[in-house]
Amino acid sequence: MIYLDNGATSFPKPAGVGAAMAAAVHRCANPGRGGYGAAMAAAEVVFRCRTFAAELFGCGQEQVVFTPGCTYGLNVAIRTLLEPGDRVVISGFEHNAVTRPLWAMGAETIVAGRRLFDWDDTLEQWEQALKSKPKAAVFTHVSNVFGYILPVDQMSALCRRYGVPFAVDAAQSAGMLPVEPEKWDADFVAMPGHKGLLGPQGTGILVCRRMPVPLIAGGTGSESHSMQMPDYLPDRAEAGTVNVPGIAGLSAGLESVAALGIQTIFQREREQAAFCADKLNKMGMHVFSGPHQSGTLSFLPGGDCEATARELARLGIAVRAGLHCAPLAHESAGTAETGTVRLSFGHRAGPEQSRAFLRAMNRISPGSP
Amino acid sequence: MKWCYITFRSITPAQRGEAALRQAGVRAELRRTPAAMAEKGCGYCLVVRPERGAQAAEILRTSGVRFRKIYLADGLGRGEELPL
Repeated sequence: MIYLDNGATSFPKPAGVGAAMAAAVHRCANPGRGGYGAAMAAAEVVFRCRTFAAELFGCGQEQVVFTPGCTYGLNVAIRTLLEPGDRVVISGFEHNAVTRPLWAMGAETIVAGRRLFDWDDTLEQWEQALKSKPKAAVFTHVSNVFGYILPVDQMSALCRRYGVPFAVDAAQSAGMLPVEPEKWDADFVAMPGHKGLLGPQGTGILVCRRMPVPLIAGGTGSESHSMQMPDYLPDRAEAGTVNVPGIAGLSAGLESVAALGIQTIFQREREQAAFCADKLNKMGMHVFSGPHQSGTLSFLPGGDCEATARELARLGIAVRAGLHCAPLAHESAGTAETGTVRLSFGHRAGPEQSRAFLRAMNRISPGSP
Repeated sequence: MKWCYITFRSITPAQRGEAALRQAGVRAELRRTPAAMAEKGCGYCLVVRPERGAQAAEILRTSGVRFRKIYLADGLGRGEELPL
């Protein structure tokens, strides 16, 4: 299988990830509860991953909160920054992990910046929207559908200039682009462990630069007398037992990312996406590509996108078609009716993947020029 | 024999403290805080030799690791709180 669906999850994982998880299952009890060997082994596993993540994202270990995934982290951020009915500014390319919680709390949502790969437009619209005095802003670093890398440095600076707290969705950028909560002065940055960070599903990181509202309450292994959740991190946002085997795997994933280097990973992914964009264009496909793009690429195949994806799967090429849990992004790009076929390259991106994909596309669309 | 117990509000700062002390060459053992010292129920502490207590506290402060209290106590946690 030629796997080009890394936007959904990275696959396969580096070899060390599974081994780390298996070791944790056999060696680790519950961290932060007992004082015996297996409990302390679990605590060490968790702390090690916190330390890796803190180094990678330039924050303190206690600011690294482990979550079950990016969606959970975004929900924490949104519930902290907003009350029901509050005004919020988002970009035109948000995932349902942002739009659904906002809809659920009846937020007054202002969508700013709907033109793909156009930083001038994004920033102009963003600033206009911030002038409406929203309570907060939430925006994605990279569109999961189109690979559009938003001007997050400048958007963050504008948020600060207008005094608007904000959260960044780094689901498609962590492990591939610099994610810099301190530089952005972001209140929260959420990311999954299982995409660019090469860890297993069921893991995620929320970098908290302000105290979050706990999404759930429960045991933390600290201040047990108190009925309130602790007022310090990470305990406040980590009720219950963390996913120790998952975190062990995430550690191994982070090690792989550090070993490869995010610049190398980005370059590999970007090169292949650009190569495929060029070839698909020549095949007569409508390709969504431009400057400020990651290793993710969407195109219209000329027929039904799901049928195309099915044919590609039959030929051993794994892609995702449809709306990609991001109808807002598709509305912005004009593809809400058709959906798109999406390629998302990963850390293993290479010419052999692109060639295999294009051979398959030529078989599916033999009449293309 | 008496030991110096440095208590923390939860395991993560205790682990940070252990790492900071290790880096500074001070041996510290991460343990559950004895119940008599665990003010709010449940916690972790670092146990160091008593003659290293003041040095350990200073290392933690300069490393930005917040701790709760320091005790001089025996192996069962019986002892007295030391002024910070």
